[in-house]
Amino acid sequence: MEMPKLTRRTFIKISAGTGAAVATLPKALNAMEAELGGKDLGPVTMAERKAIPINCHVCNIQDGAIAYVENGRVVKLEGNPEHVSTRGRLCAKGNSGMWYSYDPDRILYPLRRVGARGEGKWKRITWDEALTELVAKLDAALKEDPNSIMMKYGRNRSGGVVDRFMKTLGSATVVNHTSVCESSKKIGMEPTWGPDIETPDFANTKYVLNFGSNILEAAYFHNPLSQRITEGRVDNNMKIVTFDVRLSNTAGFSDEWIPVHPATDGAVALAMGHVILRDDLQDSTFINTWTNVTVDELKAHYKQYTPEWAEKISGVPKETIERIAREFATTKPATLFTYRGPAKHLYGSYNEKACMMLPIMTGNIEVQGGYCLPRGMGWPQPSPEPGKPAHDSVLAHPPEYPLAGHKVSHLTPFFIADGRQKINVYFSYQDNPVYTNPGARAVWGKLFKDEKLLPFIVSMSPFMGEETALADLILPDCPYLERWEPESMPNSLWPWLGIRQPVHAALGESRENRIMMRDIIHKLDPDGKRGMKQFWNFKDGEDYMRHHFDNIPGLKEAGGLDFLKKHGVWPIYGKLNPKTGKISDKTGREIRAEYGLHKKELSAADMAGAVAEKNGVIMKNGKAIGIRRDGKNYVGFSTGNRLINVRVEQWAEYGFNPMPTFKRIPWHETMKDDEMILSTFKINVHKQSRTAAVKWLAEIMHSNPAWMNPVTAAKIGVKTGDLVRVETRAGHLVTKAYVTEGIHPKVVSIPTAFGHWEYGRLATLKLKEQPKFGGADDPDLKNVWWDDKGVHPNDIIPVVADPIGGSQGWFDTVAKVTKAGPNDKYGDVQGDWDKHYEAYKETLRYAYTGDLHRKMHPEMASWGGPESVKAKEHGGH
Amino acid sequence: MSEELRVSPIETRGKAGTRRYAMVVDTRRCIGCMACQVACKAEYDTPLGVNRTWVPYKVVGKYPTVKKQFLPRLCNHCDDPPCVRNCPVEATYKVEEGGFVLQRYERCIGCRSCMAACPYNARFMLPANRTYTNITNVVDKCTFCFHRVTQNLVPACVQTCIGRARVFGDINDPTSEVSYLVARNATQVLRPEEGTKPHVFYIGADRNQTEFGRDAYRQREVMELDRTAFKNHFNI
Amino acid sequence: MGDYVWFHDVSWHASYAIYFFVIGILAGLSFLSYGSWITPALRPLREKAAYGSMILLAIGGLLLIADLSQPQRFFNVLNPMYLNFTSPLAWGALNIVAFGVCSVLYILELRKAPDSARGKLLALITALLALGLPIYTGYDLTVHQSRPVWNTPVMPVLFVALAIASGSAVGSLLSGGNEGAQRVLREYMLWSTAGVGVILISILGTTNYGGSAQELTFMILTTGTIGTIFVGFGMLAGTAAPVAMLFLAHLRQQTSGLVVAALLILVGSAALRYALLMGPQQLQTLY
Ligand SMILES: Nc1nc2c(c(=O)[nH]1)N[C@H]1C(S)=C(S)[C@@H](COP(=O)(O)OP(=O)(O)OC[C@H]3O[C@@H](n4cnc5c(=O)[nH]c(N)nc54)[C@H](O)[C@@H]3O)O[C@H]1N2
Ligand SMILES: Nc1nc2c(c(=O)[nH]1)N[C@H]1C(S)=C(S)[C@@H](COP(=O)(O)OP(=O)(O)OC[C@H]3O[C@@H](n4cnc5c(=O)[nH]c(N)nc54)[C@H](O)[C@@H]3O)O[C@H]1N2
Ligand code: SF4
Ligand code: SF4
Ligand code: SF4
Ligand code: SF4
Ligand code: SF4
Ligand SMILES: [Mo]
Repeated sequence: MEMPKLTRRTFIKISAGTGAAVATLPKALNAMEAELGGKDLGPVTMAERKAIPINCHVCNIQDGAIAYVENGRVVKLEGNPEHVSTRGRLCAKGNSGMWYSYDPDRILYPLRRVGARGEGKWKRITWDEALTELVAKLDAALKEDPNSIMMKYGRNRSGGVVDRFMKTLGSATVVNHTSVCESSKKIGMEPTWGPDIETPDFANTKYVLNFGSNILEAAYFHNPLSQRITEGRVDNNMKIVTFDVRLSNTAGFSDEWIPVHPATDGAVALAMGHVILRDDLQDSTFINTWTNVTVDELKAHYKQYTPEWAEKISGVPKETIERIAREFATTKPATLFTYRGPAKHLYGSYNEKACMMLPIMTGNIEVQGGYCLPRGMGWPQPSPEPGKPAHDSVLAHPPEYPLAGHKVSHLTPFFIADGRQKINVYFSYQDNPVYTNPGARAVWGKLFKDEKLLPFIVSMSPFMGEETALADLILPDCPYLERWEPESMPNSLWPWLGIRQPVHAALGESRENRIMMRDIIHKLDPDGKRGMKQFWNFKDGEDYMRHHFDNIPGLKEAGGLDFLKKHGVWPIYGKLNPKTGKISDKTGREIRAEYGLHKKELSAADMAGAVAEKNGVIMKNGKAIGIRRDGKNYVGFSTGNRLINVRVEQWAEYGFNPMPTFKRIPWHETMKDDEMILSTFKINVHKQSRTAAVKWLAEIMHSNPAWMNPVTAAKIGVKTGDLVRVETRAGHLVTKAYVTEGIHPKVVSIPTAFGHWEYGRLATLKLKEQPKFGGADDPDLKNVWWDDKGVHPNDIIPVVADPIGGSQGWFDTVAKVTKAGPNDKYGDVQGDWDKHYEAYKETLRYAYTGDLHRKMHPEMASWGGPESVKAKEHGGH
Repeated sequence: MSEELRVSPIETRGKAGTRRYAMVVDTRRCIGCMACQVACKAEYDTPLGVNRTWVPYKVVGKYPTVKKQFLPRLCNHCDDPPCVRNCPVEATYKVEEGGFVLQRYERCIGCRSCMAACPYNARFMLPANRTYTNITNVVDKCTFCFHRVTQNLVPACVQTCIGRARVFGDINDPTSEVSYLVARNATQVLRPEEGTKPHVFYIGADRNQTEFGRDAYRQREVMELDRTAFKNHFNI
Repeated sequence: MGDYVWFHDVSWHASYAIYFFVIGILAGLSFLSYGSWITPALRPLREKAAYGSMILLAIGGLLLIADLSQPQRFFNVLNPMYLNFTSPLAWGALNIVAFGVCSVLYILELRKAPDSARGKLLALITALLALGLPIYTGYDLTVHQSRPVWNTPVMPVLFVALAIASGSAVGSLLSGGNEGAQRVLREYMLWSTAGVGVILISILGTTNYGGSAQELTFMILTTGTIGTIFVGFGMLAGTAAPVAMLFLAHLRQQTSGLVVAALLILVGSAALRYALLMGPQQLQTLY
């Protein structure tokens, strides 16, 4: 009696099933695969949701996305299926981006500090009051010295607006966050082959060497590249080998995880080069044609880097080095990838360069499945444009670090404390150094609390981050879903232009960056007499975008901004194929990238008036535009001589080794048995300091115990969950231990993104309180079940600056780890300014001007010393 | 499969003229990014503390040869679902066309028998507080994105799957991608011995890892602190 | 923290165990009330037992309904359009309602004519329906194929035995100083509790020799808090001890110490219900 009853009810069941109107299955029974997105409906209402293409900005990978709106609220975010890199998929963070907008603790109107800095007492004020107060300060500062107006930005995707703002004010004191980010990777690469990053062709490769990138969780470009890695792994049988000090998800996914002693990747890479050159497995034609050294020079240079030598330093067995080197050199195509692992050390630039030498010497450059140049696109700026500031700023270009093209932001507090630049107004934009920088509270917190050093702090932020909490004036910017911004990222082998557009009106009184900055300038120069207003003549964000996009050849014909508003991205290379998950062209074939960019030939027009020198460099009005090789005029690489510079002459000028080399960190050599290296890392579901208030991500990961190897744990007698005390030269903290097989015994590692003391009620687990700044509460927060917010390590991580790249040595800290004592409480964190200051003084000694520089470079004995180089005059920024 | 081979009359696998949706989860492609879990939360405004899909992982091996194994989990839309058998009021039921196992929220009395009956922890009780959906205090579960699939869209978790580890389709249709994957690869289902005939097929899932081992204890120790918090909150 | 494992709530919380406990006692009492028609020694208990089970039914019913997350929808269970005959709960609901109706009729009859033939018939029907209660609650667990310990055919038998034991225990408390009744109840308690002991041992035995899930369930049931409740209170204090006491009393043909034994049995049957309900669920939350 079951059967008929069931069938009789099927219809009613379907209709009742989702509380929705009668839904029937799509008719076509032949193999039609369901679509991979582009449309969404409410599960309860069954109503189709309004789709608005945008560009994700939960992190900085810049995936194309679609925001789905129901009853005026973004309820779903999805990858844009028309986006060639993203292919319709978003990561966990991208899927939860609406919580940036709907964070109950979001700041929805301007605030003025009342009470002491950091006391948490705020007064709501109008925009007019805010601007009046700010402009008064700016006026005074401008009279004294424009450079006393400082801008520190972190994740700035304004597409030129922030720089325009500072140039309009005539200040060169603009500091980014790149030195705490990956800058030594960039500096390791740029002088060698031009761009600051590579694009490995993971989908088509057979072999991947990964040095310290956690691409399956983080890195540039997590989502798009992870997609290609799984394709390569399963559809193309590639092998992936990962070097990391701990078992990241990438290492855990790899065919081989090779634990390496921190900061020694360079040695391993050089030894692999040694094996390749020794066994004659290099691509001699490529080396001789496209680099500024010969095979013989290379062979001679690499002789010194034996696997035995590398094993002693890195702990990687010489057999492994020999084997991996041969596998890499004999498997074609092969590629290599690195991220912050090798770069974030005292001599990170050297490490990075040593790694990139491997694809170069094996000729895997710009071939299918190889190590490719990044592909990007640009856009014009609205004119007129403000000119360069009159004087350069020592904070933007500290003379001790002439090669650090991406600045040395993490030393700023000490420079300011040393009185090297007086600051009257400090602007903070998408940057939380009080949490994210080495020294954190102990250094930046102290600086921000010092009203003499920073008399007036303005934070342009929608959130009460650790830095914003110490501001005097808060101007509520809009989260990414309410902003107009131009985008382009080389996150696949296909270049694209994209756009961020508001999915709904800015909530509360918040104003997006370009509007806010325009309003400041207009207030400062109401009648244009100061000549500032002229650079800020646009109606609104959309109008500004028209200046960027309406005249780009190709896009213009397609409809310019209107095309982008409709599709979110341009060009559209094909359709997302539901059967393969890949992009297919009209014929149904998978689209194929273009390779060999450096072999593009110069047109006759380009060659007009150009001369090829005898080394082949093609010069045109004083600039190298290409390189002549076997009778052809190629564009070559975007370096000064259009070649890959294995020998970097500028480095030699400052007494650095111009050839691939490795320097061991002195304080690692003298480490005692009971000392370890404190490392740190990112995890897949969080973004720096920004996502601690995103409930879905916080639910997945909200605490950050210290990773330890069972061997180490046994030595100090702790098991998972026990309290441990981590002590460095700068201070100590008390946290929980997480004992895992997945970490090098000499390393203790603590992930970032946890242990907030600001950033709203969820991040700090103060959910009893009510939203304070105009946000609407989320009933779901009553379901928060966890009670541990973690412990942040940055207060006890001292500064280290790569004398070449200027990058922070995040992974170099020596630490003593012990079982917590009776007086140690979970969450204790204590860092000390003076000790951090000592570390700063010490790291300066490694700069080319410092006394340890020569000591570290005996091979450069012939160098004339700092006096021999007259400091180069830098442009504004 | 012929009619006679169907133990329960509600099985529709291989039944001519009907669809039988299934998901293939290729663990070789799963990178543990959790995008699926969050996409599902967003699609359904699923409250904190409960999940329609989740991606637990285990660290296996001894230093230095260690690996991470991810096992995306969700309702198996069993062809012979014990949850349906146990619901006193047929508030949970199987849709013949497609094989979806769904909920009638307006009918559910909240006795939790279906939760007890499901061998896979795929069901949960919705708490009283949600962000904007007013369906509360009834049992909920993965619907195989019935509302999307009926509009010829793949489920939200499949749509966003970065590793393309999740593939969805009609396994009664021999030419579909899922049929192809199941035909070409060795697949596993969870707890086959329960005879539930799960329709989430795994590629490369090691049953020594997917089933309880002594490991259940290790995890407990590893997770003790969070676990206590969780227990306190739900007064388990 | 560290490894990512998702946690799951248990399906049924402690209140459900209390419900089992109450249901057991009220069933046991109806047996006694009917028994009083056959064994004269129990005659003094007839009304007390009937009223007792009536009151407990009210409490149990409330517990059951309150345990639903949608109490106001309880009557969905009785809606013939919705009824699902493969669900023990559906049967259980019918059983409880039928039992309620009969025991009302029975009590009315008792008030009208304490010893009428119709009274005896109603007592029998009520008792038979009462028998259904521990059986259905047992099935309620048994049918969950994937749960070690629950998924064993002896579960309903165990619940019947527990019903007789706890019912008789309460009976002996109600019977005050009545020697005759005490003797009979002593025997009921002794053999039903002994039965419980035997069943528990066989359950534990088979469980410990099962697969990993069974093994882990065994560990959960015999260690930690659940272990204390199950082995300590349930098996030792609540089963072994009273059996020993009652057996001695049985040999000596005494009724002294019956109150203590009765109390121990009640503690035991409560503990057992709790442990048997929660233990196997603990494991599932880890899966
Ligand atoms: N989910 C997520 N994704 C992100 C971000 C985020 O916050 N969250 N941030 C974005 C940004 S700004 C950046 S810069 C990138 C950073 O992306 P990645 O550089 O890939 O990530 P990190 O965690 O910074 O460091 C990578 C790995 O280096 C390892 N490591 C530490 N020391 C050494 C060493 O000496 N040798 C080797 N081989 N490995 C070492 C760490 O254990 C870590 O696993 O990620 C981007 N993507
Ligand atoms: N221990 C440890 N520390 C690290 C790292 C690590 O791996 N480990 N990684 C380092 C790396 S790679 C980087 S790049 C840095 C990043 O360092 P930061 O760039 O300083 O970090 P963010 O978290 O991006 O900055 C977030 C701040 O910007 C503001 N904000 C957030 N959203 C918006 C918005 O929409 N508009 C505006 N105007 N403001 C907004 C908030 O006030 C918030 O405090 O961190 C570094 N710090
Ligand atoms: S990686 Fe994730 S968060 Fe970052 S841009 Fe892409 S989808 Fe957004
Ligand atoms: S989205 Fe796909 S790859 Fe990511 S965790 Fe889920 S199943 Fe695995
Ligand atoms: S909780 Fe709801 S769906 Fe589950 S068995 Fe009870 S009534 Fe049915
Ligand atoms: S997995 Fe559980 S909930 Fe889903 S159909 Fe099977 S038994 Fe029912
Ligand atoms: S199929 Fe739909 S409901 Fe089920 S887990 Fe995936 S997204 Fe969630
Ligand atoms: Mo970064």
